[in-house]
Amino acid sequence: MGSTYKERFAALPARDRRLLVAMSAAALGMLLLGIVGGLLTALARGGLIDILPNTGYRLLTLHGVSIFFYWLFIAQAALLLGFAAVEQGRGLLRRGLAWLGFALMLAGFGASMAGAHIGVPLLYDGAPGLGALTPSGLLVFNLGYLLLGMGLLVLPAAAIVTLLTPRWEGRQDRLSAVGFALFAWAGFLMVSGFAALYTFLPGTLWALGLGAFPENHGTNWHIVFHNMHYLPLMATVILWYVLVQALTGVKSVFGERFSKIVFAMYLVFVPPTSLYHMFLEPDLPGAVRVTGSLLSLFVSVPTLTAFLIIIASLEIHARGQGGRGLFGWLRVLPWRHPAMSALAVAVLSMGLGIVFAFVLIQERLAPLLSDTFFVPGYFHFFTVGTVSLTLLAALAVMLPALGGRPLWRPGLLRWMPWLVFVGLLVFGAAGVAAGYLGVPRRVIDVAYQGQAPMLWQGLMLAIAIGGAVMASALAVMAAGVAASLWRGRVPVPASAGLTVDWGGGTPAPGVAAWMGPLSVLIIVAAMYLFTALGFELMQWLPVTASGGGGH
Amino acid sequence: MNEDFWLIVPVVAVWALLGLAYALAPWGDMIGYAWVWGFGSVLFLALAGLLLWRRPPDSAPPG
Repeated sequence: MGSTYKERFAALPARDRRLLVAMSAAALGMLLLGIVGGLLTALARGGLIDILPNTGYRLLTLHGVSIFFYWLFIAQAALLLGFAAVEQGRGLLRRGLAWLGFALMLAGFGASMAGAHIGVPLLYDGAPGLGALTPSGLLVFNLGYLLLGMGLLVLPAAAIVTLLTPRWEGRQDRLSAVGFALFAWAGFLMVSGFAALYTFLPGTLWALGLGAFPENHGTNWHIVFHNMHYLPLMATVILWYVLVQALTGVKSVFGERFSKIVFAMYLVFVPPTSLYHMFLEPDLPGAVRVTGSLLSLFVSVPTLTAFLIIIASLEIHARGQGGRGLFGWLRVLPWRHPAMSALAVAVLSMGLGIVFAFVLIQERLAPLLSDTFFVPGYFHFFTVGTVSLTLLAALAVMLPALGGRPLWRPGLLRWMPWLVFVGLLVFGAAGVAAGYLGVPRRVIDVAYQGQAPMLWQGLMLAIAIGGAVMASALAVMAAGVAASLWRGRVPVPASAGLTVDWGGGTPAPGVAAWMGPLSVLIIVAAMYLFTALGFELMQWLPVTASGGGGH
Repeated sequence: MNEDFWLIVPVVAVWALLGLAYALAPWGDMIGYAWVWGFGSVLFLALAGLLLWRRPPDSAPPG
């Protein structure tokens, strides 16, 4: 077995490589489709293109479904299988299950896309209330999510068998930290698949005339949504851990066992924090609201702890390579690899995302902000800046190694994450400001026949411009990574010079690593600042928003 | 039994307790939460069982 991830991916059997390439190609195609939908929606909201509102909602549905459900989850599935296959260097076991799961997801995507074009646009949550007049559209749309859910139940089993077989054969005493993380990730994917089935089956049965109308879809949506947005975050942190090793050779200085504890913490902390999605329910008792508020404080504990492990390990090793000063060690990181830039932007985006997430999930602010543009304004820091860029970074490492083709124009691609970040900052700042001022989300034209404040349209224009920059750069990054899908005629040189290997060195004892704790301090201070700002604005402005269905 | 198994045990316990709490909660029609976390608890219990299943080292095939 090779010692680097590149060698281990290159040594995979051709049948594994075919599966991983097919899944990656599908995921990247869905991402590009979703980017087009998002870009057109942003342009329409900014008044830069004129489309019918119904077309706008259809584009918004295409955007949300393609990216949030299919890109994020098929890319995760491909990376889970890929890293599980190379964990022991023996390739994937139970490959048939993986193909079956992938086929179910692909069929689901086809059905979801068809459903998005039949009847009333349902948006990505597929609310049955919207589909009541056209049950056939709801049926086809829900069928897509049911197939996706089944795929998520089946596919991770191949990863679990692959990871545990050496143990069952008595060749391994315990999983590595990465192996344990992949094992936990696989289990959580299966639970999310079940949640999707539970949420979308009642609407399907109603559309078939076999069940009652699902009045409680909103409550069920919260639980699938909770899984579907924490799972990519867990995947992101696992991939950071793996990518730092792939790009620099650095492993955690805190040891494998502590890393495993942090990955297990995700699974322990995620369910209890789900209560805050219910803050918009009018009959929720006050004591439960307080409990939910307190539990919500734990929501980012595993993410921040994993972040601290990774940053501290990297900083200590970088200082061993001559990095000096509070920020000087950052200069010695392998910035020539686009995955390094993507990781940096992902970390910065996560910090901003966490700040605004904590503003949103507070019991007093949630009802005021949940139906405003604050929500898309903040969650693009997670979905685009944090998760999508991390998935692309991982694919930028895996696909060239699988196909034997050097990464396409790394000198150009390494700037794309930063360009995404510029667009994201404009989009996010304008979006969060618009949310504070009461601009509703999911409304294509916010002019309200000239009755709305002038500032609203200006903010929508900024959102359109930021969104266009973000979408264009992300599309270039995705297309650049996709270029590695074609197998190279000449094997990639042993060292392409894009990465470094600090794994062999032992860090000197007593080296200080301040960047991680300092970052957390800044995040906490920013949370306080934006929460205070939110309360102040809500008290002074005449425009208020009231929560309806949550996010 | 090693750390892999013991790290999954709290997951099973917390998810089971939460599933039970949501099943009994009189507000918010949150039975869906009970089903999902309950399913997760059973699934991770099964996965913990898979972590226990191990051939003794002396009967392992060579290589």
